[in-house]
Amino acid sequence: MLLQQPSKTASGAGLVQPVPGRRRLRRPGARRDRSSSGRLSSVRLRSFAWVLPAVLLLGSFVYLPLLQNFAFSTLEWDIYSGRQTFIGGDNYVKLMQDPVFWSALGNNVLYAVISIAFQVFGAIVLAAMIEGIRSDRWRRALRAIYFIPSAISLTVAGLLFYFIYEPNLGMLNYVLETLGLAAWAQPWLGQESTAMLAVIAMSQWQGFGYSTLLFAVAIQRIPSELYEAAALDGIGPARRLFHITMPLVREMSGLMIIVTISGAFQVFNEVMVMTSGGPNNSTQVLGTWLYRNGFVRNDFGYAAAIATVIFVVTLGLALGQLYISRKRRVEW
Amino acid sequence: MNARRFATVTAVSALAALALTGCGGGSPEAAADVSAAPEYAGTLSILTKFAGEPLEPYFEDLAAEYEALHPDVTVELIQETDQSIKDKTKTLTASGALPDIYFSWTGNWAENFVRGGLAADLTEVLGPDTEWGGSFGEASLDAFSYEGKYYGIPLYNNGKFMGYNKDVFEKAGVKVPTTFEELLSSCSAIREAGYEPIAFGNKDGWPGLHYLQQLFAYNVPGDKLSADFVPESATLDEPGYIKSLEQFKALVDECTDTGRGTNGVLYTTAQEALAGGKAAMYYQEVLEFDTVTAEGTQLKPEDFGIFPLPVPTGAAGDPGAIEGSPEGYLINGKSPRAALAVDFMKFATTAENASTLSAPPYGQPSAVVGAVTEDTSSAAVFEGIGRVNDASQLVIWLDTVTVPEVADAWLAGGEALISGDATPEEVLESVRNASAAAK
Repeated sequence: MLLQQPSKTASGAGLVQPVPGRRRLRRPGARRDRSSSGRLSSVRLRSFAWVLPAVLLLGSFVYLPLLQNFAFSTLEWDIYSGRQTFIGGDNYVKLMQDPVFWSALGNNVLYAVISIAFQVFGAIVLAAMIEGIRSDRWRRALRAIYFIPSAISLTVAGLLFYFIYEPNLGMLNYVLETLGLAAWAQPWLGQESTAMLAVIAMSQWQGFGYSTLLFAVAIQRIPSELYEAAALDGIGPARRLFHITMPLVREMSGLMIIVTISGAFQVFNEVMVMTSGGPNNSTQVLGTWLYRNGFVRNDFGYAAAIATVIFVVTLGLALGQLYISRKRRVEW
Repeated sequence: MNARRFATVTAVSALAALALTGCGGGSPEAAADVSAAPEYAGTLSILTKFAGEPLEPYFEDLAAEYEALHPDVTVELIQETDQSIKDKTKTLTASGALPDIYFSWTGNWAENFVRGGLAADLTEVLGPDTEWGGSFGEASLDAFSYEGKYYGIPLYNNGKFMGYNKDVFEKAGVKVPTTFEELLSSCSAIREAGYEPIAFGNKDGWPGLHYLQQLFAYNVPGDKLSADFVPESATLDEPGYIKSLEQFKALVDECTDTGRGTNGVLYTTAQEALAGGKAAMYYQEVLEFDTVTAEGTQLKPEDFGIFPLPVPTGAAGDPGAIEGSPEGYLINGKSPRAALAVDFMKFATTAENASTLSAPPYGQPSAVVGAVTEDTSSAAVFEGIGRVNDASQLVIWLDTVTVPEVADAWLAGGEALISGDATPEEVLESVRNASAAAK
């Protein structure tokens, strides 16, 4: 397979449109409205009426639960008697002294780092390779092949990989033994040293194709003249990737980094299916540790404190990333 | 938004949220009247632990029969599995939506519902001196009694035994071991005969606790063990704990093929290894006996035998103790249909329904006296329940007898011991810390 510049005929390539500048749009006639306070307030009222349902829905189902969760985190809550005692920040103090919380946070960070490496940088490289293939049929086929794992639910994928990793009957150890690498066979999910990495590996397999597809779409939007000019200057595929593709998909990269990091801090299903947080809490992530404290240890106040931490971390990361990517916006 | 305004908004939001949540106790409600005449109308909700084959049809059939007897009553079943019922029960409890009748284990699990006023006091209708109460074995009734009051209807008894394949034992030239040391030494002969000596899957953690709790009962004096389940009185300084942990580790290393990878194996995978004739032994509950010998499995009922986990030589605890306890149902203390719920459970525990429950394919040995006989139950279930009844004491499962924090520490410690990531001393220390923190 030869790598070449993305084809102009690839779907979407001809649809490249200049990105409008960040010019503030003004509603036509806004200045005239200001001259009449009666009409202004009527327009404003109508505007509020239009957004009110969305505000009410968001308030009821997003912001109110957030506030309630924060309130729960300041309580000691006995679900059996219904008794709730205000304990202030005690749950947060407990959080700071809880070694499993810190190891769970570490696992989330590890998850995020590996996911960014595979699902952002790895996916850009793969997408560039796919988009560089001459044959339209091959391009479509490869996009589909890589995307299929993303169409499988995480729970199903987790169960599938649980059986692949099974120490006695699993496919992975069987393949290793068949290849004469029996010494490499491991109880992948059964020991602390490999369990977390085994879960993360499954997650990469599952999510890799989705981000590759998104990057493929972003690459299709890059004008082919840039690649043609680079090729005329004798610039090779690797330099084209680093100096044309990567800078011009920066917005998509920023978005994917946010999505990947947020996803890494909200991970739950695959861990529950594959290890339930064990062995010895070595695969606990914040989501599963929250669950364990709430539903196994009956400590719902402490679970709410962990939920608050997850919210603060993901919100902070998302805001930070949005701020950075806005400053470095690329236009052509 | 400046800093002062932000602080004000945050404070107001937090106060608003607190007000929305509301501190204080739950709303006081009238206690359920369990002795009133039932009104045969309305919907009766029941949370069972019988989801999946072969158990699921049992409550479905009961509900259909009860609805046929009382046409104005609708029985709404919520059927969960052994694992999922834990979450379901707590979610329903926290949201104040507990059904009229719900499944419960004994020990700390049931005690929480009693303490919270969510279990109706059934002494008046279920006490040992009552007609209904007299139909149950006294030990089964006592397992759900707290401070002299009776709260739970024991549906079936249970105990943990080593199930073995007699044919494999014969091929390997091995006899039923009488000591724990003999059990360990028999494993090499079984392995040489081409079988996995003991199938064991500890993915969920609790199967390991079952071994540990039985070994604790053997190695730790009973009064000390009981005191150690309660964080306020626990010292956890008996040498029997370390011995038990060492014995458990030896069993995993010497008798299972999965060894330190046992944490990556499902409990049911191990069960299938015995049922499929690949393993010689598998530590299991009486409730599973009819499953491993069910139609279509390699293991035939006549080749299936049981024995209690053998006692280690010189053990300081109770050699006659068996791990197990009845499992049953509580009536929601706040249910407006408590009398109807009692009536349904009386129906569920009639001699006829108790016999059906005890017989294959269900194989759940009813707690009703006389329900388990050689005619109604399989030979293994009959023998198992006989041994449970003859036990010097029943030791409740480790994950339900003590508080969740301590049970969780034992669970994590057991996993770490299996994978070789912690020594017995480190495991015990982590449990001591959890117990101290739970005081």
